[in-house]
Amino acid sequence: MTEKLEGMSPRSQENSPRTSDLSPVTHHPSLKLAVYWTGSCGGCDVSFLELGAALLDVLSKVEIVFWPALVDAKRADVEALPAGAIDVALINGTLRTEENREMAELLREKSKLIVAYGACAHLGGIPGLANLSQREEILAAVFGDGFRPTPPPGGSPEDAPPELLAAALPLSAAVRVDYVVPGCPPPPGLISRTFDALLGELPPTGHVFASEKALCEECPRTKEDRRLTKVVRPHELLPDPEKCLLDQGMICLGPVTRGGCDAACPKAGMPCTGCLGPTPNAGDQGLAMLSALASLVRAGEEGEAAFASEDKVLDAIVDPVGTFHKYALPATWKVPSSLRGGGSGRGGRP
Amino acid sequence: MAEAGFEPRIVAFLCRWCAGAGADLAGTSRLQYPPNAIPIRVNCSGRVEPSWVVDALRSGADGVLIGGCHPGDCHYMVGNYKARRRVYLLRKVLEELGVEPERVRLEWVSATEGARFARVMTEFVEELRRLGPLQGNGQG
Amino acid sequence: MFVCHCGKNIAGTVDVARVSEALARHPGVVYATHHEYMCSEPGQELLRRAIREHRLTGAVVAACSPSMHETTFRRAAASAGLNPYLVEIANIREQCSWVHEGPAATDKAIRVARTMVEKVKGNHPLTPVEVGHAEKCLVVGGGIAGIQAALDVADAGFEVLLVEKSPTIGGRMAQLSETFPTLDCSQCILTPKMVEAAHHPRIRLLTYSEVEEVSGFIGNYHVRIRKKPTYVNPDRCNLCGECAKVCPIRVPSEFDCGLSERAAIYIPFPQAVPSSYTLDEGSCLGLVPLRCGECAKVCEPRAIDFDMHEELLEEDVGAIILATGYELYPKEAMAEYGHGTVPDVIDGLQFERILSASGPTRGEVRRPSDGRVPKEVVFIQCSGSRDPELHKPYCSKICCMYTAKHALLFRHAVPDGKAYVFYIDIRAGGKGYEEFVNRAMEEEGILYLRGKVAKVFRDGDKVMVWGVDTLTGKRVEVAADLVVLAQAVVPTTGAPELARKLRAAVDAHGFLQEAHPKLRPLEALTGGIFLAGAAHAPKDIPEAVAQGSGAAAKAVAILSAPVLTHSPEVAEVDEALCSGCRICAPQCPYTAITVDEVAHVNEILCEGCGTCVAACPSGAMTMRNLSDVQVQSMIRAALSEVPEPAEVKGG
Repeated sequence: MTEKLEGMSPRSQENSPRTSDLSPVTHHPSLKLAVYWTGSCGGCDVSFLELGAALLDVLSKVEIVFWPALVDAKRADVEALPAGAIDVALINGTLRTEENREMAELLREKSKLIVAYGACAHLGGIPGLANLSQREEILAAVFGDGFRPTPPPGGSPEDAPPELLAAALPLSAAVRVDYVVPGCPPPPGLISRTFDALLGELPPTGHVFASEKALCEECPRTKEDRRLTKVVRPHELLPDPEKCLLDQGMICLGPVTRGGCDAACPKAGMPCTGCLGPTPNAGDQGLAMLSALASLVRAGEEGEAAFASEDKVLDAIVDPVGTFHKYALPATWKVPSSLRGGGSGRGGRP
Repeated sequence: MAEAGFEPRIVAFLCRWCAGAGADLAGTSRLQYPPNAIPIRVNCSGRVEPSWVVDALRSGADGVLIGGCHPGDCHYMVGNYKARRRVYLLRKVLEELGVEPERVRLEWVSATEGARFARVMTEFVEELRRLGPLQGNGQG
Repeated sequence: MFVCHCGKNIAGTVDVARVSEALARHPGVVYATHHEYMCSEPGQELLRRAIREHRLTGAVVAACSPSMHETTFRRAAASAGLNPYLVEIANIREQCSWVHEGPAATDKAIRVARTMVEKVKGNHPLTPVEVGHAEKCLVVGGGIAGIQAALDVADAGFEVLLVEKSPTIGGRMAQLSETFPTLDCSQCILTPKMVEAAHHPRIRLLTYSEVEEVSGFIGNYHVRIRKKPTYVNPDRCNLCGECAKVCPIRVPSEFDCGLSERAAIYIPFPQAVPSSYTLDEGSCLGLVPLRCGECAKVCEPRAIDFDMHEELLEEDVGAIILATGYELYPKEAMAEYGHGTVPDVIDGLQFERILSASGPTRGEVRRPSDGRVPKEVVFIQCSGSRDPELHKPYCSKICCMYTAKHALLFRHAVPDGKAYVFYIDIRAGGKGYEEFVNRAMEEEGILYLRGKVAKVFRDGDKVMVWGVDTLTGKRVEVAADLVVLAQAVVPTTGAPELARKLRAAVDAHGFLQEAHPKLRPLEALTGGIFLAGAAHAPKDIPEAVAQGSGAAAKAVAILSAPVLTHSPEVAEVDEALCSGCRICAPQCPYTAITVDEVAHVNEILCEGCGTCVAACPSGAMTMRNLSDVQVQSMIRAALSEVPEPAEVKGG
C-alpha cells in the first residue's frame, strides 16, 4: 500500500473518496474522530497542542469517539460500533505487536478514512531501526532467553502481552491508508492543513499532507559550493547562519525530504533528518540521499589519486543506515537482516 | 555457506563504452564464462543508482556487478568516480543491514579487456557460490 | 519480438524457437518470431511488415550487439512508421551465444530479451533535438595557433572574429629568433601569415581586445568583447615613429621581455599587425594635451586621438576556439636560481630576444648586466618543470629542443664561447628532433651534463653555477658569464579566468581541459568550444599549428551544418518536483545544467551519461528512455523465473 500511496500523483482525481457517501462528513457539524497510537513515543498525541488556539476551533467541530490519550473508551467500545461509524481515524506509531495490527485492522473496519499520522505510521519511523536486529535477538537482549508472552500471575490468557511482530512495519503494511500526515511529529502547519481538509474539501486518496518538492525549496540558506569535502556531525560545528548545511559538511536530508515544515530544523542550524519522508519520485529516501551525497564528495581533483581521501570523507559518516534511513528503514527493508520478502512492493507485508 | 549446485543470479549494469564493449569483445573472442549474469546496458556507470542495486538484491539477485571504465578513461570523464563513491558508501550500508558487501562489485573493464571481463564474471560467480544464496532468497 | 539466428552464430547455441515462444507469452508481446538473418533485407522486411500488420508500438530485435545493428533496425522501423526510439536490441550473440553453452544459454537469452521488452514498454517516441546556429566563429588568441585556426575557418567560408589582447597578433612565435630543428627565421615564416589574417575578407581582427562575457551554448554563443582604445587611428598612422621619439616616458618593453625600453606610445615590433602605434594609457602621463600631448603635436597624419573610447562589441558566434597561449613560469619563483635578482640569469624567451636580429642587441649575443659578449654560458633545462615538490610536476616539452637550439646558436654567434647544458633527460620526440640534438651534442661541441643544478648565485661579474654530473658522480662548478633558464611553460595569466567565463574546464595547472584525453583532444567539455595551441598543454609550433587546423575543422563542422542535431536520449527535469537543490549541476561535466528556481537541462549540451539523474535526490531528474521505473521492470524481467515451454510451440 505504501507503494501505491507514493506512486500516485496527488493531483489525479481517480479513486478519490469524495463520493456521495462521504458528503455528510463535509457538512455534518461534528466529525466523528478517532486518534490511536500503536508503537509510538506519544509525541504525535502531544503534537495537536501545537495548534494553539486553533485547537479549540478544531475541537468544537469534532466528536472524539476514541482517543486513549484523552478519553476513556476501550477497545470493546470500538468493537461495538457499526462498520464505518468513525469518520476519520488518525493512527500514529509503528506496527510492532500483534495487538497493534489488530487495532489497525479494527479501526480500518470502523472508519471511513484512515490517516497515517506521523513518521512511524507513515514509514515505520525511528522504532523501525529495530529491524536491523532479528526479533529473537531483541527479545533475548531485553528479556533474556526463554521469554514467552504469558499472562501475569492470576490473569486470564487475554491479559498476556501481545506477540512481537517479526519486524516493525508502517501502517500501510497492515491496512489501506487514505492519507498521510508526515513528520516526527507532524509540524503544526501540516496538522492544521489536515484538519482544514478533513473538515472541508477532501484531497484525492493517497494525498500526503506535505509539499511535493524537497525541503530545499523552503530553506533560506544559500547553496553555492556544491561539494562535500568533509563530513561533520551537528555537535562538531557551529554552522554559518547563511550557508547550506550540506555545503558545510553536515548531512542534511533536506534535498530528498518533502517540504512542509518551513525548513524548521535547518533554519535553527540543525540538519534535516528526513522525518517528512521522501519526495514523491525519490524512491528509497535513504538510498537516494546516499547517491546524492556520494556524488558530492570531493577530495581535490577527481581521479585515482583522490580515491583514498574521498573514502576517508565518507568514512566520517557514523552509522550510515541510521543517518540515511532514520525514519524509513521498514519501508526499505522488509524483513530484518534480509532484503527479501514475498511480494514486490516496498511496503513490506508481513 | 555453499550449496551444492547453487547457481547465483547476477544483474550486471555495464557501461556502453568500456565494460559493455569489453563484454562484446569477450564474445567476439569466444571466451566462455558462466551465464549467471543478465546484463543491463547503461550509458555510464555514473547512471547506476544505489536503489537499483538494492532493488536487484530484493528481487532475487545474489549479486550485482557494476562495470565501468578504468579511472581516467570514462567516456564522460568523471561518471565512474561518482559510481565508485556511491558503491563504496552503499556497501557500508549493506554491511550494516547484514548483507555481505562482496555481493556488490564494481569493476573497471576497458573495451579491449574481453579476457578481463570473462575473468571478472567467472570470479564473481565463484565468490557468490562461496557466499551462498542471499539470506531470505525464496528461490522463486 | 524478433529473434535472429545469425546463421549458426546464435541458433547453434541458443534455441531460438524456444526464445521466441517464451517471449510470445511475455506480457505485452503481441508478436514473436525468429529469422535466419534479421539484418538481411528479408529480415528487415519481416520487421517492417510486422510493424504495419500488427500496428506495433515497440519492437525488440534479439540479435548481435547494439553497436552492430541498432541503427539498421531503427532505420527499418522508421521506414515502416514506427518511431526509431521504440526499437531496442537484445544482445544475445556477443554477450550470450558466443560465450555460453547448453540450456543455460537459452535461459539467459530469454531473460536478456525480456529485459529489453520491458525497456521498450517504457520507452517514449522521441525526435532528435534540432537547433539553429550562428555562422560566425570566435577565435581567442592571435598567436600562431589562433592565426592558423582563423585562416582555416575563414578559408572554409565563414566569418571569424580574431580577438587578441595585446596590440598585435603574432604571439610568442613573433618573439622567437630561429625555429628548431630547421633554424629558419621565426618572423620570416610568421609575418606572411599575420598579414594574410589581417587582409582576409572574412577575418575581423580585434587586437587590444578581450572577451568580457560569454553566454549561450554550442552554435549559439553570445559574446561581449571589450576593445580598448589605442588612441591612434590605424588608418592614419604611417609608422613614422616621431611620436615615440618625443614621448618622455620609458617603460620596459613587453615584447623584448624587459631587455629594452619602449615609450608610452609604441609599436611592439616593426612588422606588428595591425600596422599602427598604440598609446598605452597605463604609462602615458595623461591623455590630455595639458599634461603632455607631445606625441600628438609631432604626429603629421593627425593619427593620435585622445578622445578615442573603448568599444563594447556584442556578437553571436556558433563556435569558439581558445588559443590563449602560454607564458614562462617566472624566474622570480626560482629561489635556487637567484630569485630573478641576478641580471645575467635570464629565461629562454629573453635569450630568444637576444638572439633575434630585431632584438635589443640586434642579434649580437650580449649579456644584460654590462653588454659584454658572454664566453661561458650555462643552459639549465627543466627549470621549474618536472619538479613536483617545489614547482610544476609536468614536462614542458619544448625546452629540450629550444635549449639545444639556443646553445647551438650561441656557438655560432660566439665561436670561441663555451656552452654547457644541464639536463635530466633529453626528450626529442619529433621529426628531425633527435638528429638536431645529436648535432648540438656531437658537432657543435656543446657540453651536455646530466644532472640538476643545485644553486646559481652572483660572484663578482660572474654567475656561479653549482651542479652535479650524475653520470660521473662529480660536482660541477662553472663560473659563467650568462645563465639561461628553460623555465616551465605555464598558461597565460588570465586564461583560466577566461575559461571559467566560457565554462570550459581547466586542469590543476590551469591548462584547458580536453573533452577526452585520447578521443577528443581538440574539444573542450563544453560543446562548441575548441582548443588550440599551448593553452591546452605545452606545445611546439608544428603541434600548435596542427591543433589550430584541427580545431578549425571541428568548428567548421558546426558552422556548416544546416541545423545542429543531437540525440534526444538525454536527461530531463520535472519542474513540478525540482526543489532547486543544485546537487545535479556540479555532476555535469558538460555544464549542461543551469539552476534558477529549478534545474534546466540544455538538450544540446547533455551527452546522456545520467550521472545527474542518479545524483538527483528528489527524483526530479530523469533519463529519457531509461527511467528508474524502466530499470526496475528490467531488473524483475532479468530475475524472474523462466516458465516451462508451452505444450504447443508458438511462432
